[in-house]
Amino acid sequence: MAVQNLIETHNLTKRYGKALSVNTLNMKVSPGAVYGFLGPNGAGKSTTLKMILGLVKPTAGTITLFGSPMDEKNRIRLLADTGSLIESPSYYGHLSGEENLHIIQTLKGCTKSDVDEVLKIVRLTDAKHKLVGHYSLGMKQRLGLAAALLGFPKLLILDEPTNGLDPAGIQEMRELICSLPTEYGITVVVSSHLLSEIDQMADHVGIIRKGELVYQDTLESLHAHAKEQLALRVGNPTVAADLLRQEGIETGQEEGWLLLPMLEDALAAKLIRNLVAQNISLYRIEQRETSLEDIFLSLTGKESSL
Amino acid sequence: MRTLQLEFYKIRRRKVWLSMFAMLGVQLLWGLWAMRSPKDWELASGWMSLLYSLSVLDGVMMPTIMSLLASRLADIEHKGNTYKQLRTLHPAASLYHAKALCGAIILMVLLAFQAAFFILYGYFLGYEGNPDPRYYLLSYGLKFASCLSLFLLQLLLSMFFANQMIPLVVGLGGSMVALLVMFVSHYSFLPWGGNLSASVVGMNWDETSRIITYFYREYSPMEIAAVICIFIWIAVFYIAGRRLFTRREV
Repeated sequence: MAVQNLIETHNLTKRYGKALSVNTLNMKVSPGAVYGFLGPNGAGKSTTLKMILGLVKPTAGTITLFGSPMDEKNRIRLLADTGSLIESPSYYGHLSGEENLHIIQTLKGCTKSDVDEVLKIVRLTDAKHKLVGHYSLGMKQRLGLAAALLGFPKLLILDEPTNGLDPAGIQEMRELICSLPTEYGITVVVSSHLLSEIDQMADHVGIIRKGELVYQDTLESLHAHAKEQLALRVGNPTVAADLLRQEGIETGQEEGWLLLPMLEDALAAKLIRNLVAQNISLYRIEQRETSLEDIFLSLTGKESSL
Repeated sequence: MRTLQLEFYKIRRRKVWLSMFAMLGVQLLWGLWAMRSPKDWELASGWMSLLYSLSVLDGVMMPTIMSLLASRLADIEHKGNTYKQLRTLHPAASLYHAKALCGAIILMVLLAFQAAFFILYGYFLGYEGNPDPRYYLLSYGLKFASCLSLFLLQLLLSMFFANQMIPLVVGLGGSMVALLVMFVSHYSFLPWGGNLSASVVGMNWDETSRIITYFYREYSPMEIAAVICIFIWIAVFYIAGRRLFTRREV
């Protein structure tokens, strides 16, 4: 039996005037996953997540949450099992951390012990009586995560949760997110414009570019796209390419380099001997790998930030 | 009920009550000064003159006080970017109702305090007889309706604009409009003239004797229409605010 996805969007589209912010997006998030939603700034990540949470009305398309099509009538009921942190944390600066969580606790209908537990998870227990207006940005972000975690929902939607955190805070947040599916059974959707961040947190990835989902699969599959090549720097590339073609090896050229697919050691040695025997000067030989960054850039365009 | 309790919880330490009573305090001081040392003929119609004076004071000050109240209630949400979180937890309409109800309760307490204060002051000054409960209840009922319409207008603006200067300027402008209306008429169809229309007491000023005669108003059809207009404004501002709040994307 096929596993039911926690989130499914069908041709989800959002248009602001003439600008198409999200274009026929079909996202699928399976249970237990850490789904990395990756894309450059302004690609439509936040708009997509806001549509999933019902904060923004789609121009077209549908959203299915926990197997039920979401509409205005059932939205709050479906979101009862969801926690979210969108863009920046929401808080009342004149109230303490604990008081802020008390408001969420009341609205979610969970217990006081849940508040204590999430405060412990985000390491804010000692600062729970301090006014949130006096918190650092990182503490506010952690409070936002605590609010999202309150009641231990089945699904957590985090939009750029590491924004404003220092390196230690980023590391901490990353470890916490990675632990959520195993320790609490929470499925996480986390957006970021940083490939390295998603690479370290997610097991599934969706890449969005100019509102379109250009890639969606496991992170493992994305890594499999990272192919290795042999690069040769030779005296006469055209002749060398002809010789290699005669041996059944197709080559490409890039900035004076001949690019070959990865070869067995024995075959590589034989080809090199042949080139040298034909008086073709061999200056350099390198093993190259198409990195995740290269793949990301090829999918999202060179202008994207990493 | 739960969201209403949360509204009061959320305004802890925001000194909402303090700021409201500070504004009311200004009004009370103004009233104390204006009604000090009444003459004998004023004592005879003291309870009527009190209602008339309060309608003038409220007409001028309530647009500003209501703008401040709405701003204090809405500003906490803008400052902390909380709408996007609250709306994933609770229906938007319910959140709007809680805020509107919270403001209405605060308004009710303010008016009750004002009434109690001035009635005691009336006894202190030695007004003859007792206040007529029918007219006082009617007056405060209409005053509440008029102030509620102003509050709902201000709440709409305060929830829509993150910059609270805009609704506050509208509130101050409303006080100016109310003052201007008083010079030309004793009723108005404008929301800021509601307190004037709501006054149950009218007055005649005799130029030669310089004596003011107060009387309980007999409403003309136009005056009745102006009073009905107060309730129409309540409905308009409530529907507009609710629609704006529930349909707005955050």
